[in-house]
Amino acid sequence: MEIEREIEQLHAASFGWAMSCCGRNHQDAEEILQDVYVKILEGKARFDGRSSLKTWLFAVIRRTAAAQARRRMLHDLLTAKWARRELDPVSEPADSAAQHSEISAALIEALRKLAQRQREVLELVFYHDMTIEQAAAAMHVSLGSARVHYDRGKKQLLAKLNGKLTP
Amino acid sequence: MNLRDAFGTLRSEDAARAPRFDRMWRLRTQRRGIPKLAFAAMLLVIVATIFVVRRPEPPRPSISAWKAPTDFLLATPGRELLEQTPELRGTYR
Repeated sequence: MEIEREIEQLHAASFGWAMSCCGRNHQDAEEILQDVYVKILEGKARFDGRSSLKTWLFAVIRRTAAAQARRRMLHDLLTAKWARRELDPVSEPADSAAQHSEISAALIEALRKLAQRQREVLELVFYHDMTIEQAAAAMHVSLGSARVHYDRGKKQLLAKLNGKLTP
Repeated sequence: MNLRDAFGTLRSEDAARAPRFDRMWRLRTQRRGIPKLAFAAMLLVIVATIFVVRRPEPPRPSISAWKAPTDFLLATPGRELLEQTPELRGTYR
């Protein structure tokens, strides 16, 4: 199957994007990517060739992550998980700084402080080597909006990194 | 180091920790099968519970057999005297 081979080639990048979409939680990212693969195999997500496969796949990952976040919020609400969290304030097993180099840990920390759209566009452009236009398509926002998020996000990211990195 | 290099470092660190593609591809049927089965079982339990718990409704009285709840107020004391013709005994001159 041709699409399977192409998706396999994009697997590492897809996993990285899934990590970004779920607050860098390894387990959640695996679950999201698994759901995306199931959607593709069951024909619920179809590639129609209007964009590149990578742009389309990233848009599916982003939508799936948003749906998972909504499901989780509802589940937490129904099971009163927020109340249990207050009693037991152990954080979720998110991506920890110990698993990364110093520069990556600083970058992750600075990215967490950005607005979601700014973080997304910066990751798509710098991490995934997309153009701003491709990033806008993956994020389902207009090109102008993506440019604004990119400019503001980049300035804020560099400011939060306190001169550790150059533009 | 610039931004692109820093993101490149993060990308290679993430790639090293990414799960294997074939493992995720193979797991797809197992993960989907269980929730569907659980959902079907839950639905069956709900339907069965509704049938078991649901009690038959009592038969409704017909409109002709209906009696007003205040009917007893009409049964006044001495009502029987009003329902019969009084009998006059003796003669009157």
